[in-house]
Amino acid sequence: MKTVKVKKGWPFKKIAGKPSLRTVSRPAKKYVAAMPVHIPFVKPRLLVSEGDRVKIGTALFEDKQNTGIRFLSPGGGILEKIVYGPRRVIKEIRIRLDDAEAAESFDSFTASDIDAMSRDILTGHLMNGGMWGFLRQLPFRNIADPEAKPHAVWVPLGSADPFQPSASVYLKDNKHFFDLGIKALGRLAGTVHIAWHDSGSKPKKNNPDVQPDAQIDIRRDIRPTHRVRGGFPASDAGVVLFHTKQSPDENRDWFIDGQDVVLIGKFLQTGVYPTERTVAFSDGTAENSCHITTRAGVRFSDLAAPETDIAHPLWVTGGLFTGYTGSGDNFLGYYETSVMIIEKSHASEFFGFVRPGWSKLSNSRTVLSALSSRPLAVDSDMHGEERPCVNCGYCAAICPVDIMPQYTYKSLYADEIEDALGHGLLDCVECGLCSFVCPSKIDLTDFFISARKRYHKELQQGV
Amino acid sequence: MFKQLENGLRRVFEKNSRHFSENGKLHKLRPLFEAVETIFFIPAIPAEKAPFVRDGIDLKRFMSIVLLALVPPLFFGIYNTGYQSVAASGGELRFFDIITSGLFTVMPLIIVSYVAGFFWEILFSVIRRHPISEGFLVTGLLYPMTLPPTMPLWQVAVGISFGVVIGKEVFGGTGRNIFNPALTARAFVFFAYPAQMSGDAVWVAVRDAGTAAVTGATPLAMTTLTGSFNSLEAMLQDAGFTLTRLFVGNYPGSVGATSALCCLIGALLLIITGVASYRVMIGGIVGLLATSFLIGIFSSAPLNPWANVNPLYHLAAGGFMFGIVYMATDPVSGPGTTVSKWVYGFFIGMLTVLIRVFNPAFPEGVMMAILFMNLFAPLFDFIEIRLHMAKRIPNV
Repeated sequence: MKTVKVKKGWPFKKIAGKPSLRTVSRPAKKYVAAMPVHIPFVKPRLLVSEGDRVKIGTALFEDKQNTGIRFLSPGGGILEKIVYGPRRVIKEIRIRLDDAEAAESFDSFTASDIDAMSRDILTGHLMNGGMWGFLRQLPFRNIADPEAKPHAVWVPLGSADPFQPSASVYLKDNKHFFDLGIKALGRLAGTVHIAWHDSGSKPKKNNPDVQPDAQIDIRRDIRPTHRVRGGFPASDAGVVLFHTKQSPDENRDWFIDGQDVVLIGKFLQTGVYPTERTVAFSDGTAENSCHITTRAGVRFSDLAAPETDIAHPLWVTGGLFTGYTGSGDNFLGYYETSVMIIEKSHASEFFGFVRPGWSKLSNSRTVLSALSSRPLAVDSDMHGEERPCVNCGYCAAICPVDIMPQYTYKSLYADEIEDALGHGLLDCVECGLCSFVCPSKIDLTDFFISARKRYHKELQQGV
Repeated sequence: MFKQLENGLRRVFEKNSRHFSENGKLHKLRPLFEAVETIFFIPAIPAEKAPFVRDGIDLKRFMSIVLLALVPPLFFGIYNTGYQSVAASGGELRFFDIITSGLFTVMPLIIVSYVAGFFWEILFSVIRRHPISEGFLVTGLLYPMTLPPTMPLWQVAVGISFGVVIGKEVFGGTGRNIFNPALTARAFVFFAYPAQMSGDAVWVAVRDAGTAAVTGATPLAMTTLTGSFNSLEAMLQDAGFTLTRLFVGNYPGSVGATSALCCLIGALLLIITGVASYRVMIGGIVGLLATSFLIGIFSSAPLNPWANVNPLYHLAAGGFMFGIVYMATDPVSGPGTTVSKWVYGFFIGMLTVLIRVFNPAFPEGVMMAILFMNLFAPLFDFIEIRLHMAKRIPNV
């Protein structure tokens, strides 16, 4: 087991409401939905229409660019509504659940079947089963190209973002599925790297929240190949790759989240499209923030604890730094495994800049809260207005993949894409830290994400 | 009470906002209205894109910390200016008299600098339709602190106008200037009005009308006095400039830049809060000490009395500490890469000593040294970025 130490990044310790390891079950009530708009780079073509009756595992849509890549229904019932957004993007495919849901059945396999079958058949099976989308490809983080043979596939276990599900929760009782999933990944790529993020905190023995059997010793039971230390986003596959790669060949490695490996294993073994998900939920309080076992495509409001009480709620899924927002009526996306409620920005702050800042969250030491480790409540406010870049260098000091964002930003501003690529634009893991720390409130990350998308488009058109 | 003030102000801004709106009469002055409003209220702007939580620091807070760090040298400067003035006019050295005399000399300089500078800032913001930048709060204070107390106020205004317009706005405003605007302003008046900016007669402001200018040589001007080799320390001692006095800063000089001690206190605040680069500061001090030490070893002829002095005198005398702590660390005009910051600081220290020692025309060297290195900062950055890029495993 190699140890990878990531020095830069953000400790991510001072936001209140870290989900505890306590696990509760909150099933979906009445509706589930698929959210095609939140699957990057996919151009969906619908395979069903409003009013159709669907089962768990019925194909809902496929990717126009690669029609083999399908996305299946997370529930059985009536397809009640397809919600379109601007320019007819498909936002949401909503299904009203039947009391007794039917499920499509697929072939099931054992470990030795997987060893014996050809790579193409396995690929085809995962594509038909709606599993292929979980496999993504660096550096653009689009869905892996089934034709490509990657150097390696990375499986991040656990996250440096404490608001993402803990690996010890979703691996509990699922270790055999995880092992089968890893075996399947081994057939697809030469090497499978399991990169475990070791947060360094030992669970307390007498913690009443944690049942003794909830614990799984990742080091002993899973045997990860890499142990990752460091602040957010050290656990990201792109960051681990950046700190371990030896040659440019590795730039196109694949990655898949640990929880999705469990799903692949479960799908292969049971022959049923797996709809269980472990979601980390937080509303900023210690009492309500916990892990929830629920299902794919669940409505956010079904996840909230009844006691949750926030005056101006903003729902964030997929992480505070990397995700997107919605309201309680939105549904859980294909990749997302966390839901948070934070206070929406709503009131201007009187004499904000001269306040000592006991309760201001900041990576800098210009606020007094830097002196304490007390967790702080957060809101979605920018905490200032946009200003020109003054080259303070805060972004370069925090970037986990050693990009100097202020210069890359200026290169892109001047349309020097070659320069930006040289700076490491494609090594960018879109973690959001540069935007977070910027005192001039420049949306650096978003600027890089759009530049990367434009470059990806250029590459595709060039081919 | 505090709450009432807040609500009252909130109403004032809400009521008057319409005058500055799209159809209002004062629409053109919107940036001014916003600048005033946001001093009182940081507006609620939701983060539209990830990340949905943003750092509590903004440019206002960033610049406020620099202003806070300027408080020790400013207060000391007011005291010192008053002290020199009262002492020179033969008055009784009472604390109250010293402070009032200092305030009467220093405050007009600062107020004129702010008013004239903000006039240009607002003019450019209105024409270019961009918000008024907080950076000027620092520039407008730094500049008068480096001036002699006898400076005519109209020259102060001309200088800051040059600094803001030619030093900053012609390049496109905040973040795009290549020279430090405060130093550009000072360099302008230094060359345009040498009689008011150099010599021995300008460093003490005497408030009694009718008295002739008081001569008070600054320690750095000792270079121009005839002196034999290796005698500067003795000469400085004779003139009452002990190392401690130079370090504390109570001697005739510019308004706010004489005290190395107060600059060190400010430096500490800037380094602890992480607002200014310790690399530039330490690099500069090392460069200054190393260069003056080496010159002391190798110079055998009596080049200049400052060539053979204990390096600590270089550190304590004149405005070097003020320059390296507050001027050289300006992130816009300095380099942004790590190693470059050390090199840039080192060269500033080195050049300061070289100018002081080898150029008899300039008793003080730090201003020219910083402006000269401002010019080289982009080159340092360019080289370091190229080296950094060469180290990466390419990903295209």
